[in-house]
Amino acid sequence: MFLTRSEYDRGVNTFSPEGRLFQVEYAIEAIKLGSIAIGVKTSEGVVLGVEKRITSPLLVGSSIEKILEIDNHIGCAMSGLTADSRTIIEHARVEAQNHTFVYEEHIPVESLSQSICDLALRFGEGAHGEESIMSRPFGVSLLVAGYDHKGPQLYYTDPSGSLVLYEAKAIGAGSEGAQTELQQSYYKTMSLEEAEVLVLKVLKQVMEEKLTNSNIQLAKVTPSKGYQIHTADELAAIIARLDEQE
Amino acid sequence: MSTEIQNAAKSHAGRWEPYVDNGGTSLAIAGPDFCIIASDTRQSEGYSINTRYDSKVHQITDKVLFATSGYSADGKKLAENIKIQAEKYLDKNDKIIQAPSIAQMTSIIMYQKRFFPYYVFPILAGLDGEGKGCVFSYDPVGNMERVGFQVYGSASALIQPFLDNQVGLKHQENVDKNRTLSKQEAFDLAIDSFTSATERDIYTGDYLEIYTVDSTGIHKEVRTLKFD
Amino acid sequence: MSSSLLLSKKNSDVTENGTYKHTTSPIVTGTSVLALKYKDGVMMASDCLASYGSLARFRNVRRLQPIGTHTILGASGEISDFQFIQNQFEGLMLKEHVEDGQKLETSSIYRYLSNVMYGRRSKVDPLWNKYIVAGVEPSKNNNIFLGFVDLYGTTYQSSVMATGFGAHIALPIMRKYAEPRADSLTEEEASKILDDCMRVLYYRDARSFNKIQKAKVTAQGVEISEPYSLSTNWDFAESIIGYGS
Repeated sequence: MFLTRSEYDRGVNTFSPEGRLFQVEYAIEAIKLGSIAIGVKTSEGVVLGVEKRITSPLLVGSSIEKILEIDNHIGCAMSGLTADSRTIIEHARVEAQNHTFVYEEHIPVESLSQSICDLALRFGEGAHGEESIMSRPFGVSLLVAGYDHKGPQLYYTDPSGSLVLYEAKAIGAGSEGAQTELQQSYYKTMSLEEAEVLVLKVLKQVMEEKLTNSNIQLAKVTPSKGYQIHTADELAAIIARLDEQE
Repeated sequence: MSTEIQNAAKSHAGRWEPYVDNGGTSLAIAGPDFCIIASDTRQSEGYSINTRYDSKVHQITDKVLFATSGYSADGKKLAENIKIQAEKYLDKNDKIIQAPSIAQMTSIIMYQKRFFPYYVFPILAGLDGEGKGCVFSYDPVGNMERVGFQVYGSASALIQPFLDNQVGLKHQENVDKNRTLSKQEAFDLAIDSFTSATERDIYTGDYLEIYTVDSTGIHKEVRTLKFD
Repeated sequence: MSSSLLLSKKNSDVTENGTYKHTTSPIVTGTSVLALKYKDGVMMASDCLASYGSLARFRNVRRLQPIGTHTILGASGEISDFQFIQNQFEGLMLKEHVEDGQKLETSSIYRYLSNVMYGRRSKVDPLWNKYIVAGVEPSKNNNIFLGFVDLYGTTYQSSVMATGFGAHIALPIMRKYAEPRADSLTEEEASKILDDCMRVLYYRDARSFNKIQKAKVTAQGVEISEPYSLSTNWDFAESIIGYGS
C-alpha cells in the first residue's frame, strides 16, 4: 500500500514523493551538530582549522584529531560524526598511495576528493552487487585541502556525495555565521599568514569557549612543504598575531 | 630411451606453444628536447614474410609513442591496453598522462602477466613532463629502465653496439662526453642503423617508420628499406 | 557408459576424470586460402577438400563463408573450429541485426574474430585455423578490406595474402602479378591469377584438390561461385623418370 509520509525516511535508498532521500538529508543535518571546521585557499597554499571541543578538564586534548594527512600533498579537516571518517580516510589514503604506485606521481586533489565522494553513496544495498560498506549514509563532511598541477585547491564533500570547490568554506556548528564572515573577509590575494589569522579569527567568533592553542587544530598545505600540522607553540604564535591585529 | 625421457618428450609434444616470434626491430633515441622513434614494418613468421607493412609504433598521447617487437599479437594487445588506460587516466584525473606515469603503469601492466608474459620488448619514448626527450625500455615481464637510447628486436644485437658507440660515445678517445646529438644527427643515425641491419637481418626490412617528437608535436616519415 | 551419460557429454571436451582437453593438433583440416584486392573489391579462393591427415576425407566442403552482406570469411586449418566460428557468427549477426538494425561491417567482423582467436590462444586452447577476412565497407566509401588472423591471434592486413602452403607457393605469384596493380586489376585478371595460383597449388600441394570455389566482394555485395573443377594437364608426368617408372 501507499506509504505514509513519515515512512519514507525508513529505507536509506527510498525516495520520498517529493524526490528526497531523507536519510541523506538527516546525515547532512548531523554535520551541523559537529564542531566547526574551516578551510581557506590562497595562492601560496591552503589553511585548515578546526575547533576541538574539550568537554571535560580530564580529557586529553591531544587525543582529538580532526585534521588528518591523506598524502604528502593533501590534508583534510572534518566535522560531524568523526568516527565515520575513519573508513573514508583509510580509503583515501589507499587511493593516494595506489595512484603513486601506478603512476609515480602525486594523485591530483580532485581525483582524490572524487574517490572520497564515490564512497558516500555506497550505503544500503548496492545496485550492481558491489559491496556496500555502510548500512546508513556517512555522518561526516570533509574539507579536502591539497596542492597539485592545478595549484592549491580546497574541496568540500558531504554525505550526499557531492563535491564542490571552494576558496573558503566553513562546516559544522555555527558554519552559517562563519561562512558569512569568510565571505566578508576573504580576498583572493590573501597571503598564507593572513589566511591563518583569518581562520583563527572566524574560529574565535564561532567558538563558545576561549580560543587557546589546545582547543583548536590548524594545518596548512603548501607547494614546497606539503601537508604540515601546527604544533601548540606554532599555534600560540599565530594566536599572538591575531591578538596583535585586534 | 628411458621411459622418463620418453614421457618428458611426450608431454612436451603434447603442449602447444602459445607464442610466435614475428621479428622486427624498434629503436629510440632521446635528445635534450626531442626524441626519435623508429621501427621497421616487416611482419614475419619463420622464413615467410606475412606482410611488408605492419606498424609496430603506437601513439599513446600527443607526446608519447610505444614501439614493440617480438610477438606481434601481444604487442598490439599491450599497446591497446596502455592506450585504454591512458584514456581512463584522462577521464579520471582531467589531465593528459605524462611519459613517466605511462612508463610506470606499463611496467605494472606487464608484470601483472608475470607468469604468462606479453612476449614483447617494448620501448616507450617521447617527451617527459619537462619537455625533455625520454626513452623507457622494458623486458617482457615489466622490468623498466629509463635510458638515453635503446634498440630492441631481431636486429638489436646489430644496432645497439653501433648506438653505444655513436650515441653513448663508448670506446671513443678524446671525445667530449657531454656532447649531445642534434635532431638531424639522431634521425640520420636511425636510418643508417636500419639500412645496415636490413642487410644482415632477414627479419628486418621493407619499410621504416621514423617518428620525431618535439615541442611542435609528432612528425612521421616513412622510408623504404630493402624488400629482399 | 550409459546412454544418458553419453548424451550429457555430447559436444563437450570434458574427459572422464573431469579435465578439459585442449586442442593440441588439428584433425580434419582444410588447406590454403588465397585472397587478393583488385579494382572493384576483393577476391578469394579455396578448394573444397577437408583432409583427415593424408586421407582426402570430405570432398565437398565449403570453406568460404559469407558474413553479413559485404564480407567473406575464408578458413584453413581445423574444420570443426571453423564450424564453431560459423555458429558464433550466425548468432552474432542475428543479434546485431535484431538489436540495432545494423549489419556489422568487415573491419568489425575482423576485429571480433581477432579477439576471439587471441582470446582462445591466451587460454592456451586455440582455434586451430588461419582465417582471411575480406570485404568492402559501404559506410567507409567502399573501402576494400583484406585481413588475416591465425591461431596465435597474429593479425595483419595486406593487398595479397595466402594461408598454409599457399603462403609459399601462391603468395610469390600474387606478389608479382597482383600486388603492384591492386588498384587497376580487373575482375577477369584477378580471377585468372587466382585460378592459376590454385592450379599451381593443386600440382604441388598434396593436401589440395582440384574442386575449388571462388568468391568476390564488391560494392554490390558478396558473390560466391559454386564449386568447379580446374583444368589440369598431367602430360608432363610421362616424362618423369624415376620413382619406379
